[in-house]
Amino acid sequence: MTDEKPPFGGSWSRLYALVLLNLAALIALLTWFTKAFE
Amino acid sequence: MSLLDWLVLGGSLVGIVLYGVWRGRGNRDLGAYLLADRTMRWPTITLSIMATQASAITFLSTPGQGFADGMRFVQFYFGLPIAMVILAATAVPIYHRLKVFTAYEYLERRFDVKTRTLAATLFLVQRGLAAGLTIYAPSLILSVLLGWNLHITNLVMGGLVVIYTTSGGAKAVSHTQFLQMMVIFFGFGVAFVCILASLPGGITIADAVVVAGKLGKLNAVDFSFDLQNRYNFWSGLIGGLFVALSYFGTDQSQVGRYLTGRSIAESRTGLLANGIVKVPMQFTILFLGAMVYVFFLFSAQPVFFNPVEAERVRSSTHGAEFRRVEERYEAASETRRARAVEYVEARREGSAASAAQAEKALLEADAVTKAAREDAIGVIQKNDPNAQTSDTNYVFLSFVLRHLPAGIVGLVLAAIFAASMSSTSAELNALSSTTCVDYYKRFVDRTPDNADPVTAHRDVLVSKGATVFWALFAIGFAEYASRLGSLIEAVNILGSLVYGTILGVFLVAFYLKRVGGTAVFAAALVSEAAVVACFLFTDISFLWYNAVGCLGVIAIALLLASWGVDAKKSVPVTA
Repeated sequence: MTDEKPPFGGSWSRLYALVLLNLAALIALLTWFTKAFE
Repeated sequence: MSLLDWLVLGGSLVGIVLYGVWRGRGNRDLGAYLLADRTMRWPTITLSIMATQASAITFLSTPGQGFADGMRFVQFYFGLPIAMVILAATAVPIYHRLKVFTAYEYLERRFDVKTRTLAATLFLVQRGLAAGLTIYAPSLILSVLLGWNLHITNLVMGGLVVIYTTSGGAKAVSHTQFLQMMVIFFGFGVAFVCILASLPGGITIADAVVVAGKLGKLNAVDFSFDLQNRYNFWSGLIGGLFVALSYFGTDQSQVGRYLTGRSIAESRTGLLANGIVKVPMQFTILFLGAMVYVFFLFSAQPVFFNPVEAERVRSSTHGAEFRRVEERYEAASETRRARAVEYVEARREGSAASAAQAEKALLEADAVTKAAREDAIGVIQKNDPNAQTSDTNYVFLSFVLRHLPAGIVGLVLAAIFAASMSSTSAELNALSSTTCVDYYKRFVDRTPDNADPVTAHRDVLVSKGATVFWALFAIGFAEYASRLGSLIEAVNILGSLVYGTILGVFLVAFYLKRVGGTAVFAAALVSEAAVVACFLFTDISFLWYNAVGCLGVIAIALLLASWGVDAKKSVPVTA
């Protein structure tokens, strides 16, 4: 069961990396947002 | 409210209830009733997880937080995506492989019955009370702003949910949550467009964003490390990670949602998708609050948004003093409005010097307005030291009721009801699951659920009875809930008092195979006492309680195991 493929992304490792990279990008974007409008 | 608003609100609520009853037909046994026969696909799981977490309090308080405190609350969710990855990789395969109904069932297989029962009991107490707040908080706000009877509002909020949750179980909960999230997204999307369209002539969206930033409302990220500062990057990333691990990994109201997945892949993907969309969703709701702040810069606003408290002080011996403060606030608001327009015009002219001067004048005018508002709150407090002095929960709905057109008001109210119903239904389903599986099937009737049709039917009836019991408990608690500060934070604090300890127990179960049941049980009791002591005797932000409870359990359990307490009795159960 644990070897099931994810519905997208190819592998679970890639999907986990996608979630974490998305978080990093959001934090970077929000930091820029804070600096740009303070 | 107009007839159109009533039609939109009533039609939405009746539609949701009927849809839930229809989709929840045919529950033959506990597997069907409590876990929807494990048939759900990941999009439904994602929306179900989001709908469970985002209660009506979220949609009423969060814009108010954006209005009063800016965007910094968004940092609370920074740890959530990391938690989703950890849980998808570890907890989901374990729960699925063992085919458990509840998270606490796993603890008996790993440790012993007393550890399972302790965790289940902490959950029932905390979640039972939280379910009461989930009903009470929006009911209170709606009753204050719309003049509705609080008791009837509580009964309608709780009563509608119990109809389809009792009859349809997990299937009804998951399918209605899908529909409810559609109503919420649509309702708040329309409200957002209306706010931007309501800005006065000449003020563009870009102007509104710049003004909000200058007035400190777009402070999304703060990297300073301060244990007393409730929302900064570190408390959000670390404290928020522990909160999210506890809530999504050990709280049955969330575990029950992804255990309905038809496979490990579906449950995992449902969690991970939540990790991707949660931060942007919270950002949008807070941004909506910041835009409401800008809207009120250019139009009249009350000095205090809770009309009941304001009226109480007006008709008291402090009424004359309060009215004087109100007049001062109105004059200060007029000045601030003029300064805001001057600032926007100065920016457009392109002169850096005049823009800086106009910005300084705007900030001064904003400070004077805030000071007048603080004075008003001071008078309210002087009149009644126990008065509710936080009005952030009333800001957004006040705006909706005063400034949005007929039909849209009903739609936003439908979204608020939908949010309350979605959270409450998941909570009732989880409370019923834990009562039935961790108490009834463990201590009263140990016959396997699907041993025969009579047993299966009886178990479903017991679960339905437990759902009704917890609904009555929640409505009863809502009826007696006393005044709270910021309601969303009260719910979070309540959870934080027990979440860390429960998370510690689960982390020991997952990763420390040499620790046994007695060691972890004793560690949990000591750590819970430490968390309560932190709450009572220190100023540490509640987000850190989870870390204290969790790390306390791990450290004490390891220490006890190293002393030989129960170290050889554990039977590791992992994926």
